[in-house]
Amino acid sequence: MIQLEVNDVSKQFGGLLAVNHVSFQVQGPELIGLIGPNGAGKTTLTNLLSGALKPSSGTIYMNGQRIDVLPPYKIAKVGLGRTFQVTRAFRRMTVLENLLVPALAMHPTARQAQFVKKAREVAEFLTIDHLLNEYARALSGGQQKLLELGRLLMLDPDFIILDEPFAGVHPRLMEIIYEYIIETNKQGKAFLIISHDMETIFTLSQRLLVMAFGKLIADGPPEEVKRDPAVIEAYLGSDSDKPWQPERKTPPAAGDRIAA
Amino acid sequence: MRGTMRRLKILTWVVGTSFLLILPWLIPTRMHVAVIALYYAILASSWALLAGYGGQFSFAHMAFAGLGAYTAGLIDKFIRLTTAPTYACTEFPLGSWWLVIQDTASPTCLEKAKATMPMGALIVKLPAWMDILMGVVVGGLFGLLIGALVLRLRRTYLALFTIAFAEILRTAINAERDITGGPGGLKLSPLFPNGVTLLGHEFTAADKLPPYLVMLGLFLLVMALMYWLAGSRFGLFIRAIREDEEAAGSLGVDVVRYKILLFTITAMIAAAAGGMYAHYVRVIAPNMMVIKEMSVVIAMAVIGGMESLLGAAIGAIIIEFALEQLRSNITIGAFTLNMADWRLVVFGALLMITLRFWGNGLIHPIIQRITRRGVAEETVAKRLQPRAATEPEDDTRVKIPASPLEPDP
Amino acid sequence: MEFPTIFWYTVLWLIVWGAVGALVTPRVYARKDKFTYQTGMLGAFVGAALGPIGLILLWRLTPAVSAKWLGASGIVVLLWLALAFAKAAPNNLCVTNGSFIATQIANGLVIGAIYGLMALGLTLIFSILGIVSFAHGEFYMLGGMVTYYATQIWFPNLNPLLGVLIAALFTFALGAIFELLFLRPMITGQIERPGEYAILVTFGLAFFLQYTTLSLVGASPKKVPRFFDYPRWKLPAETGGLLKVTPGNLTFFDAISIPSARFTALIIALVLLFVLLYFLYRTWTGKALRAVSQDRQAAAVTGINPKRMNTLAFALGGMLAGISGAALVQVFSWVPWVGIPASSRSFVIIVLGGMGSLPGAFIGGLILGVVEALGAGCVPDPHRAAAYLPAYGMIILVLVLLLKPTGLFGREL
Ligand SMILES: Nc1ncnc2c1ncn2[C@@H]1O[C@H](COP(=O)(O)OP(=O)(O)O)[C@@H](O)[C@H]1O
Ligand SMILES: [Mg+2]
Repeated sequence: MIQLEVNDVSKQFGGLLAVNHVSFQVQGPELIGLIGPNGAGKTTLTNLLSGALKPSSGTIYMNGQRIDVLPPYKIAKVGLGRTFQVTRAFRRMTVLENLLVPALAMHPTARQAQFVKKAREVAEFLTIDHLLNEYARALSGGQQKLLELGRLLMLDPDFIILDEPFAGVHPRLMEIIYEYIIETNKQGKAFLIISHDMETIFTLSQRLLVMAFGKLIADGPPEEVKRDPAVIEAYLGSDSDKPWQPERKTPPAAGDRIAA
Repeated sequence: MRGTMRRLKILTWVVGTSFLLILPWLIPTRMHVAVIALYYAILASSWALLAGYGGQFSFAHMAFAGLGAYTAGLIDKFIRLTTAPTYACTEFPLGSWWLVIQDTASPTCLEKAKATMPMGALIVKLPAWMDILMGVVVGGLFGLLIGALVLRLRRTYLALFTIAFAEILRTAINAERDITGGPGGLKLSPLFPNGVTLLGHEFTAADKLPPYLVMLGLFLLVMALMYWLAGSRFGLFIRAIREDEEAAGSLGVDVVRYKILLFTITAMIAAAAGGMYAHYVRVIAPNMMVIKEMSVVIAMAVIGGMESLLGAAIGAIIIEFALEQLRSNITIGAFTLNMADWRLVVFGALLMITLRFWGNGLIHPIIQRITRRGVAEETVAKRLQPRAATEPEDDTRVKIPASPLEPDP
Repeated sequence: MEFPTIFWYTVLWLIVWGAVGALVTPRVYARKDKFTYQTGMLGAFVGAALGPIGLILLWRLTPAVSAKWLGASGIVVLLWLALAFAKAAPNNLCVTNGSFIATQIANGLVIGAIYGLMALGLTLIFSILGIVSFAHGEFYMLGGMVTYYATQIWFPNLNPLLGVLIAALFTFALGAIFELLFLRPMITGQIERPGEYAILVTFGLAFFLQYTTLSLVGASPKKVPRFFDYPRWKLPAETGGLLKVTPGNLTFFDAISIPSARFTALIIALVLLFVLLYFLYRTWTGKALRAVSQDRQAAAVTGINPKRMNTLAFALGGMLAGISGAALVQVFSWVPWVGIPASSRSFVIIVLGGMGSLPGAFIGGLILGVVEALGAGCVPDPHRAAAYLPAYGMIILVLVLLLKPTGLFGREL
């Protein structure tokens, strides 16, 4: 039974509160969507969960263990896996080697040969098995995304965070990713999925988190969240002709703008 | 496929080793160059492991070689084993021996003690292999330290940090003349002070064949170790770290541990090469760690191919021989080209051109052509196989369920 | 002479409280739910300056970080160090002779200004191309070498300023050609690992330029006489109490003595600095350069060609180094290796000042100049002091990279 507890977590970047006192809990194999305007702090929150960033304040517990103080690799071993908004395949390694890395990392005494068969199966499931011996850089963008999912299958975490898995993939790949999420969820794994694709996220998720300006402004079933005035406000804003922009850290001086 | 690869690997080892073993009969007058070439080969290929495999562009590799050399040299200069206590120097009992340190505060203590020591008491230096080993330990400790300090630094910052470390070390060795001899250099005893008998043939301390064989032994040992490492999980993890530290960490790779391990191991290898080199050339100076030496090693690795241990080693050997060959001046009419300098110009140009046009080096692509033969054809052939025909149930599985939101039973 | 331990105890005291401040302060700020940005640095400074009392006050008040707080506590730290040094080595020239130390500092500032100019070139390259040129020192070396050949060999009676101009043109052209041939492919996607490539290829260039120069001109040191002999002059006319000028020397206030060659170099550097600032802030091309450094894509949209800006930046950066070399060739003797320590200095300066920061580079140059001058002049045991000279900057570099990789003025992430 997966248990995740995020308590009052904040993250500052310079003078910016990218994540502002966020709290929520996950119990069991939930399928959770996380949405919010650009710069709302979604990616930062996932980075805090996976240990890529350390919170400025607050605590995170997973399965009863405090993970916000652990290095990322230990968090992975506790059972949290994630993909990145921008694909991050190991480009100068073969697909097979990409898949072997998490498997070997999880099993300190195992030998490579033990995982080749599983890697082949994972690649087959993701329809990239013909590319096993190719370097990852030779793969298309979509295939690299699949490879990232493949690495997660090899890692076999209990809680999976996908950052924008549907952004810019073509429909056929989308089907495979969708399939992957459903299948894996059925096996008892929880998901936190960030997406801009409202339609997909509303149908896919059982629970929806909404962030804006670093704050968690809504948390509940999709239908409820859809009607939440705070959410509508965040998405449409007061002057709705100007989409909300994240604060810039170093505003260009007046002299820096050059007439076209 | 797998079997052929294996046979190819064994063949390469056998052919390469036997070639290096018969080299002394092929070029008996050039053994000095051969020893130095192996020294560079060890450094270049271990740098390839560090930078090419691990992505850690360190410029401190020669500093680690220097640490190994100077540790060996300082032990050779200051430490003796005696069969009787001196009661004059700093000393520690060591079984039936005493380990005596003639520190700079009492440099002549041993001379004075000789008068009082019993007749027949022996005063000997540590054997060369022992002080080289100490050099390896010291190199490893510094590798550990540097590895731990640079964890957060990437690329340019790492390069700058390691340059700074190397320069500080070199400056310190230069400055502390009383201990290290400063720029004038530090003398060492030869690898085999009393000569050695090999296959019934007696060699003196000045003969080149025994040191060549020892250096060759170290080279083969190091290559075997590095190939084993590169093929194991260690190799896989450091390449993953090179590609993307954050992603590797999120997949359970202990980035900190493997980076530090990588620095430590390559520093130890460099230190071993340095210690061996020191006992071979018998006088070392801080010049062995200047930036220029580092450039030479990097250039060798780059031209051979940074991502190939073998490529870097072959590159180093070929380039060292070529550089020696090019030493003699070229005279065209009344005009004489001073090749001692110009050859390095050619070398620098070759480095830049290789980087620009053959990013994988000149030798690595040849090796890859052999080892990765057939991969592309295999991919194409597999893609042509109709998937649905081989795995009929696969197609049904990839369909999206009609209503993903149905509650689980 | 044994250097008394009081100095080292003071240093230890400063370090310990600085470390305590650096480690604890961000936590205190976070607990009070205040911004922790740069509070580590503030804690370090205040801790070192005022010890536990300062820290307790700081943690009580938790003021917003400001340059005022940082500057004030920085000065206090320097005062402590100076005081401890005076206590520890009461007979040191730097303590007993005010004129000596003033001269040291003044000369350090003069040389530092030229280091700063050179580092400015490197920072310019970094902020536009995102790379550090490891051949920067070689441009400096070539600037001096070309000036030597122009004014001493090819045209023996050439006005030295024209020699400097030739050096500037030469290094500019060299930078442009190298950028076009070797760095351009990085942005057109022909290079697989641009980050590593940039390090190695500029390293290769350094090697290539050193040995080409050595092969062409040999290893014997070249000397250029000072560019200008100043007329004898005094201010006020009778005593020269404010300023005394002789052909080879300037003396300010009867105390601070600066060789005229260095003074000429300083003037060249300052003029160039103003020209550079004018160029960057007042001309279209200069503004375009700065726009590219801030946001490449946005700049490209406004009709700036970022590729051209890359070439221009690298050439300009090389030229700044070249002119620095040309200005200093009359001060130091010149061999093909002079670029190596010069490169190192530039690295120290840009890291200290913060990569990509123009004011940081110049101020970093001044700081390094003074540190080197004081290090050479004040450290007891002059032989050691001289032998360790190359290491001072490197130690600064290592410390900055470990403690605050963004330097003094770097853009924080
Ligand atoms: N490493 C960082 N340094 C400084 N600011 C950052 C960093 N990462 C993100 N930010 C800022 O934090 C805010 C939230 O970013 P992010 O989490 O990426 O938003 P989202 O993923 O919701 O679009 C943005 O304003 C962004 O500019
Ligand atoms: Mg995001």
